[in-house]
Amino acid sequence: MPVVPIPAAMFLATQLTHLAPVDVAILVLYFAMVIFIGFYVKGSTNTSEQFFLAGREMSAWIAGLSFVSANLGSLELMGWAGAAYQYGILATHWYWIGAIPAMLFLGIVMMPFYYISKTHSVPGYLQLRFGEGARAVSAVSFAFMTVLMSGVNMYSMALVMKVVLGWDINFSIWVGAVTVAIYVMLGGLRSAIINEVLQFVLIWAGAALIPILGLIEAGGWTNLKSQIAVRMGSTDYMHMWSTLGSFNGNPMGVHWTGIVFGLGFVISFGYWTTDFLVVQRVLSANNLRAARLAPVIGSAFKMFVPFFVILPGLLALVLLKDSSGHLMQLYPDGSDMVLHHGMHSFNEVLPLMMIRYLGPGLLGLGITALVAGFMSGMAGNVSAFSTVWTYDLYGAYINKKATDSHYVSMGRWSTIVGMAISVGTAYLVMNAASIMDYVQELFSFFIAPLFATVILGMLWKRASKAGGFWGLLSGTAASVAMWAMVYHDKANIRFMILQPHASVDTIMRVQAMAANLYRAAWSWLICAVVTIVVSYCTKATPEAQLTGLVYGSTIIPDDGSTKIYQKPVFWAVVVATVLFALNLWLW
Amino acid sequence: MSTPHVDPSTEQSLSIWFFVGILTLFSGLIILGQGVYEFWHPGITVLANLHPAFWWGLLMTLFGGFYSINFRPGKG
Repeated sequence: MPVVPIPAAMFLATQLTHLAPVDVAILVLYFAMVIFIGFYVKGSTNTSEQFFLAGREMSAWIAGLSFVSANLGSLELMGWAGAAYQYGILATHWYWIGAIPAMLFLGIVMMPFYYISKTHSVPGYLQLRFGEGARAVSAVSFAFMTVLMSGVNMYSMALVMKVVLGWDINFSIWVGAVTVAIYVMLGGLRSAIINEVLQFVLIWAGAALIPILGLIEAGGWTNLKSQIAVRMGSTDYMHMWSTLGSFNGNPMGVHWTGIVFGLGFVISFGYWTTDFLVVQRVLSANNLRAARLAPVIGSAFKMFVPFFVILPGLLALVLLKDSSGHLMQLYPDGSDMVLHHGMHSFNEVLPLMMIRYLGPGLLGLGITALVAGFMSGMAGNVSAFSTVWTYDLYGAYINKKATDSHYVSMGRWSTIVGMAISVGTAYLVMNAASIMDYVQELFSFFIAPLFATVILGMLWKRASKAGGFWGLLSGTAASVAMWAMVYHDKANIRFMILQPHASVDTIMRVQAMAANLYRAAWSWLICAVVTIVVSYCTKATPEAQLTGLVYGSTIIPDDGSTKIYQKPVFWAVVVATVLFALNLWLW
Repeated sequence: MSTPHVDPSTEQSLSIWFFVGILTLFSGLIILGQGVYEFWHPGITVLANLHPAFWWGLLMTLFGGFYSINFRPGKG
């Protein structure tokens, strides 16, 4: 392992600010508490069920907050604030249509199958439904993805520390990695969930003040929209749907079909319903009703996250000023202006806004909130990695007959190894052009085809074991192939957007993020078609083996709801109605 | 499953919500103290004249205090 730099070498000359003693006190308080929690819950994580699934004892509120908090990593905080600055309010789609419908679908439709099948993981469900081949493909790709994602979170946290405080990136990476490794290794998922609930509260407390003060300074929402229109020369930045009629009509270069089918259907449903990182939190629920309600509770909170992530990015467009008093211009990561002219990148927008408004004490809270968000992302990934490695790779193929305590021990060790690999990934990400695009690439490699396999497996009895395996394999391979095709020559995007004669201008306007939406949609489709064709060509799974796994072969037990306000579906309708109203408002 | 349907906040001696309360309470008190100090030594951030540290610290202290007391160890 690389040597952690000594504190004297931590500071760079270009730091934006420094922490006052009160800021340090809040940061230290947070770190002390998360370490304490790790040691505190260690005594109650002695069995594999306790270590990997928190004993399946969590209430709907705890599972729900943990569910949404596990996703509040670097992607949520810095990346999307930067995306809002770059693309405008379009970035909100990733929180609304790109999350809420899928979360509600998970709670209402899919959770009963995950829960009553008693599976310990998503690859575990695939093993029950499609056999070992599908589990192996899913487990290997998931393990690969989680450690990469953890590394992305780690690098982002280090970047914040560098930008705001001038701390050396190596120091931040190692402090975050060691802290997360300790509390996840000791307390497993239980420790991760408790910390995620803590982090959730901190993130709201630490980040909500920035948009409040920003809106006061901008003179309110209406004035903000006017000022953005003046600065950008059009109103495109403040519309969510009306500019999506063509690739050329909006800053992202995306068409509404990409948002609805690529993001709203494939990527979103793939992530929120089959990514074990988030599903694992819901599997820890203490009964079926709690398991169904948890994603609905999570979705309600998710809907308001843009308030402290997207809004600061928009406010920065008209409020951030440089030392000479002119509006500040941010640039893409890795661009010449950032690398050689000392300018700030898109991903730095949130820390810059933080420094603008938060003085001593509040700055410490804001920094702690960011750190908590990043560590939440790391912990989520590494605890999910540990579970899949131990249950679906080590326990399935390497050592099938070990004792329960041996698997717990393996879970603790794999946490350490997972964090070490994540550290390596963090150094790899330093060379990536954009954190956001990098993460999106990972999503569409694995998640989109996995969603096709799981949803067909859950809702279609005729899907055969061979169909599931070959569908998943071909969908994943197609996704990687499409990425390589565009990486080789960006002009190949025209085939993915079904415009083979697209102009050079159109091709250049399609941003990497938009291209990923189409790649995800195609890989989902290829996976689904291959699954269906192969299933019809091969022997169907006997009905008796599908009980508890597939719609139509399973009697969903009553979840105990008697009054309407106790029913998860009632609250799902409420959330969906609010979502619809918000989209209309910002049309 | 033979696992009883219990919230871990009541199963263990220290509730999850108690941890939430303590962290928020102490952070709030620190920020509130800084906010009071800034009445005599104004900050240099934008809109510091609104005393955000004082009001935000007060809000967090009240929130944290409520959770700390309501979910304190030993409370039935």
